[in-house]
Amino acid sequence: MRRKFAIALTAALLALVTTRASADAPYTTWTSGPGGYLSMTQDAYSPVAEVDLPVSGPEDMFVTPHGVLYVADTGNGRIVKLVDFQEVASYGEDVLESPTGIFVDGEGVMYIADAKKSTIVILDADGNLVNEFGRPVEPLFGRNREFLPRKIAVDARQNLYIISEGSVNGIVQMNTNGNFIGYFGANTAQMSLKMILQRMFLTQEQLDQFIRNEAASPSNITIDHQAMVYTVTAGTSFEKSIRRFTISGKNILPEIYWSSTAFRDLVVSENGLLLAVAADGVIFEYNLDGTMLFAFGATDTGDQRLGTLTNPVAIERYGDFVYILDKDKNAVVVYLATEFARLVHEGIRLYTEGYYVEAMPYFEQVLDYNGSFIMAYQAIADAHFKQRDYAGALTAYRYAEDRNGYSEAFWELRNEVLQQYLSQALMWLLVLGVAQNVGTRLDRRYDYLDPIRKRIADLKQFRFVDDFLFMFRFIKQPADSFYYIKKDLRGSLKFALLVYAWIVAVRILSLYVTGFVFNPNPVLAYIRVEDEAVYALLLLFIWNAANYLVSTISDGEGRVRDVVIGTAYSLFPYALFALPIALISNVLTLNEVFIYTFSLNVVWAWTGILLFIMVKEVHNYTFSETVRNVLVTFFTMGLFVLTGYILYVLFNQLFDFVSAIFQEVRLRG
Amino acid sequence: MAESISLRRGLAVLIAAGVLLAAGSAGASGAGSPPAAAAAHGQAPPALSPDGRPPVQFIAADPRDLAEVPETYELAAENALFQLYANPETLAFKVVDRRSGYIWHSNLDEKEEEDRLNRTWTAFAQSGISIDYLDRQAGEERNSVTNAEHTTEFALTGDGFEAAVTFTDPSITIIVRVTLDANGVRVDIPFESIEENDPAFKLGLLYVYPFFGATRGGRIPGYMFIPDGAGSLIRFADETKAHNVFYGRYYGADLGMITYLPYDPTVRRPFRISIPVIGMVHGEKENAYIAVVEKGASYGQIVAHPSGIITNFNFLYNSFIYNQSYFQSTNRSGAGVTTLQQNTNAFDISIHYRFLTGEDGDYVGMARSYQKYLVDRGILAKVEDPGADIGISLVFLGGEKEKVLFWHRLIPMTTVEQMAAILDDLGLRNTDVVYYGWQPLGASSMPPDSLKIDRRLGSEGEVRALAEAIRTEGGNFYLYYHPQAAFFEEKGYSPRYDLAMSISRQNLGSYTYYLNLAAVTERFTGLSEDVGTILSGGLALDGIGSTLYSDFKPGHFLNREDAIAAYQELLAGMGSRASFFNPNDYAFEFMRAYYDMPIFTSGYIYATDTVPFLQIVLSGYVPFYGAPMNFSSNVREDLLKHIDFGVYPAYYLTQEITAQILNTPSSWIYTSSYGQWGQEIKETYAWLNALLGPVKGQSIVEREQLRDGVFATTYSNGMRIVVNYTDRPFQLDDLVVDARNALIQDAGQ
Repeated sequence: MRRKFAIALTAALLALVTTRASADAPYTTWTSGPGGYLSMTQDAYSPVAEVDLPVSGPEDMFVTPHGVLYVADTGNGRIVKLVDFQEVASYGEDVLESPTGIFVDGEGVMYIADAKKSTIVILDADGNLVNEFGRPVEPLFGRNREFLPRKIAVDARQNLYIISEGSVNGIVQMNTNGNFIGYFGANTAQMSLKMILQRMFLTQEQLDQFIRNEAASPSNITIDHQAMVYTVTAGTSFEKSIRRFTISGKNILPEIYWSSTAFRDLVVSENGLLLAVAADGVIFEYNLDGTMLFAFGATDTGDQRLGTLTNPVAIERYGDFVYILDKDKNAVVVYLATEFARLVHEGIRLYTEGYYVEAMPYFEQVLDYNGSFIMAYQAIADAHFKQRDYAGALTAYRYAEDRNGYSEAFWELRNEVLQQYLSQALMWLLVLGVAQNVGTRLDRRYDYLDPIRKRIADLKQFRFVDDFLFMFRFIKQPADSFYYIKKDLRGSLKFALLVYAWIVAVRILSLYVTGFVFNPNPVLAYIRVEDEAVYALLLLFIWNAANYLVSTISDGEGRVRDVVIGTAYSLFPYALFALPIALISNVLTLNEVFIYTFSLNVVWAWTGILLFIMVKEVHNYTFSETVRNVLVTFFTMGLFVLTGYILYVLFNQLFDFVSAIFQEVRLRG
Repeated sequence: MAESISLRRGLAVLIAAGVLLAAGSAGASGAGSPPAAAAAHGQAPPALSPDGRPPVQFIAADPRDLAEVPETYELAAENALFQLYANPETLAFKVVDRRSGYIWHSNLDEKEEEDRLNRTWTAFAQSGISIDYLDRQAGEERNSVTNAEHTTEFALTGDGFEAAVTFTDPSITIIVRVTLDANGVRVDIPFESIEENDPAFKLGLLYVYPFFGATRGGRIPGYMFIPDGAGSLIRFADETKAHNVFYGRYYGADLGMITYLPYDPTVRRPFRISIPVIGMVHGEKENAYIAVVEKGASYGQIVAHPSGIITNFNFLYNSFIYNQSYFQSTNRSGAGVTTLQQNTNAFDISIHYRFLTGEDGDYVGMARSYQKYLVDRGILAKVEDPGADIGISLVFLGGEKEKVLFWHRLIPMTTVEQMAAILDDLGLRNTDVVYYGWQPLGASSMPPDSLKIDRRLGSEGEVRALAEAIRTEGGNFYLYYHPQAAFFEEKGYSPRYDLAMSISRQNLGSYTYYLNLAAVTERFTGLSEDVGTILSGGLALDGIGSTLYSDFKPGHFLNREDAIAAYQELLAGMGSRASFFNPNDYAFEFMRAYYDMPIFTSGYIYATDTVPFLQIVLSGYVPFYGAPMNFSSNVREDLLKHIDFGVYPAYYLTQEITAQILNTPSSWIYTSSYGQWGQEIKETYAWLNALLGPVKGQSIVEREQLRDGVFATTYSNGMRIVVNYTDRPFQLDDLVVDARNALIQDAGQ
């Protein structure tokens, strides 16, 4: 690791690193942390220098594997070659007008996209013109399509990938003779609900007046050592702003969670690191799965602190150095990976190549540096899994918040347990079954359980116990049972309120006890208990109020008491079963996801049906009246919420108005 | 590289142009008596200095200027080392350093063709005093003595001069008093002398001798010093990379005027300017000055112009804020008006210019001069520490709270017992231990106003026993305390009565609010007494030494100068010892240790050098510790910097694994577990102790660059530490400094 660093340091860069001024980075560095949040970490890159270049408004640069820098000097219409940041040659003054994209191949041949001339210019290593061509003549290119080349990348077989401004069909692929090969990797247009509605209701003339819904065209391109093409697209949704294409033009980079919508350029290194710079000067580093490793950088707000950027247009990597070309500064800002970042990078390199176990010590060291480095937990978990250390993998997957990995590790662990104890467990079940059978028979003969039965019967005299046992009647005879409530025969308001409290408790507890695989809250500390309780209580209250109010004006017979008690009893499937299901989810894996969702759905459906029957019985409605009543109840509930919101806004405004008057009087009076 | 060449060329020019005019003789040398001074008016300086040394040869700052004091200046005072000349028209003064004959100038006398000064800037450069005044609508206008209608009453005072300037348009009067003393010149502008006679106009900014020591481009070698981070130099050059001037408010922004600092989590803020010192070197090891703002720094700010921005001059100066506009919102959605503050900020200005010559004419000399200044005034006192080993700062996180259902629960991270075990295991002497998050429910709850340790962490008795054990080992034990902080949505303070208020009538701060003086005093006094009497330990103070705000609470108005005085009174009366996190100079007097010592600068691209100015000032007097190494991303390089600057290491530690506090407000401590750091701490300490131990308690007396990336620092006992930051070994006489390593040698050999 250290040796590699030494090679990367040329004399000029060494001088940069050891200048007399040493500064704090003007930015903080963030990484993907727990709970889907960003978490602060040690600096990954330190700003090293800002090197002024003899150029004007440059828009692109290219760094060869040997560290030679080519800059598209857009303002002066030339290409500048720099060694150790000193100009050594200048090319193409007579052919170029305003070069905006440059790529240099292994032989030093320069491929240049000239935006003003709308041509591609190919110069050999000495700057002699090899070829120059403009818009493809092939009909396949599209009759009305414009050719506005901005950026260019070339693969080993000398296919040219050209970013043409406004090209909705994607990247223009050509060969060195200027023949059009095809389009490559188009973005897909995005359809919003508004657009769908417009299409449904507007005429063709009206639609034509809108700007046509076209796919955003990529804004920059790079190619890695395996001839994979990567693009950034500005102005599209941030999950898709970076894409990685197979040879056939299919995007294989998963959606990215931490990203920007204003990426300017990207670069991919041989060790599987992807760096992209956004217009606001923030630099993101990813691994090739699209996991964000680091985000850092800051805009220059006039402070002129080293490492801030004004108008970044291109990014390149050279060893552990990152170069960013700033168009407004006419300078390259140089950053150097820190010891910490080099540790992460080395781990990532091994991990990307599949050496999970070899990568593990690196990531363990990374965790010594930063315990919230999620990516490291993931890598360690994968290594444990590969080594069949499923317990270790389980813990690490839990930290990494990887549900799939956790589920798989758990499956393996559970499997072990099952194989070991299943036969014994079955045996015991059999024994228990037989024992119960025998017990029942004996009881039938000798009635020795009678005292217990009598006890239960005695307990029934207590109202609460009776209320509780009454709940189980709803399983078999829901309709009759509601009739009991209506006639004040069974059930009580007190017990109903107890059920509501129980439901709220169940709701909150199930958030905590649901197994990690099925829990929408990966981090329990983020659960807001007060909110959950208030939501649940509010919903119950609004339902009861709305239902009663609606029923009184539509000939419902039920009193408040009946509705409240009836609703409570209707909710018993949830109260009884939600918690057990949540508990069972702890021993399920994603393979058995059906069991979990199906049982939850059954509970909800059952509750719904009971509510429906409750409304029908308590208010003595026909079926159609009940349907109408339930719908109107929902509508009223909606109105309650809306009214509440409007009142809140109005009072807020009133308060603002009054306080503003007081403030003004105090200030000016 | 190019820089050092131009530097050498500059020197050559200076020597070549050294046509030094010998002074003509004049009779009078009656040290500073007014008649004698009057007699010297328009005369060349005396042939013999009072101590009978040979005639002084004058040297002008600019080699193209005549090396003499122009006719328009009169001798106002003189003493053994200096002569002070004054110009009654412009209020400019010149100081002749008799040791070298060097003439320091406060103003521009002759404009040159390529100076790029327009009329306003010319007036600004030629005037001793300029002001910005504000009208009712907060509109600004600048007046300088030389271009605005004004009346001056000038008088010699024997040891200097006094001038009352009245700017006619805004009808504002200011009295400037310039006096010569043994170390240099003092400029005083007392607040009671300032008159704002027209209610339509208010004094906004006051510029005090903005062109003092100004130089043209790269004409002479040298640099400006700004107290940014560890210390930052801007070398003189014809070209600068700067587009904007450097601007820095002493002690940071006044929250009283802006309510809270805009928060952007992705930006690391520039360093706060913690010492009110600026300076310049004219020719390294030749001439230098520092200007210490003795009074009024809390309303002062530095402005530094590298040559090439606006003008062709390098200059830096102090300006002072008397009135400011602020935004008063009138409703919650943010609409409002911009208006002027009601009352003019009340503070005296006193700036002390100290002149250095010869060997002292560099930043080391400047820092030592400031050190001497602090020592002379009794502000800096030696913290006695007989041990031979260096200190190490260990900050232990006691506990942090987490929410369980509706309640909070303490997550114990390091109990007192565990802390003792860790210290045992480390086996180090001279540990400087800070216990953070000791209060009931841990770090992010309000600390009590008496000593109450969360009982899950340990008992009072245990803490006392530990504190005593640490002290007998030669170390120190402190409880962390931020007396100004009131945490958002926490119990333990009244948002209505206890918080400070900004000028726009809002509670000061956001998320962390700031308490008003009454609340700070009450809490601080109670706790510090307990800590002193019960624990015989100390408090590691955050905030009070570094955050300075005015309070506009009706009936309790407190400006920044008053706040400093109140804090100093509080600290002077505290019943226990105190250490500080990155304090401002007004806390130095009470400081037994300095934490979070900056080893970098804010990285302004026009700043050319990072120098250990602050370190030199404190070296030999107060031990100082760096930022916790846990969060370092280049450990080796940062430790080399520690060695180079004489900074002791610091670590954050917990017994439990850090993952436990991942989802708490303390998640910014993302690595801390002793299991992970113990070995590293032992190794680091051993390395640093071997290098810094021999110079413990010694002052830095010299520092030089031996090669790019190789620095040598000499201490007062003659030991020299050489640090090699580069990847190549460095040959030093018969010794080799390995790549990225350091060594210590006896420079006397």
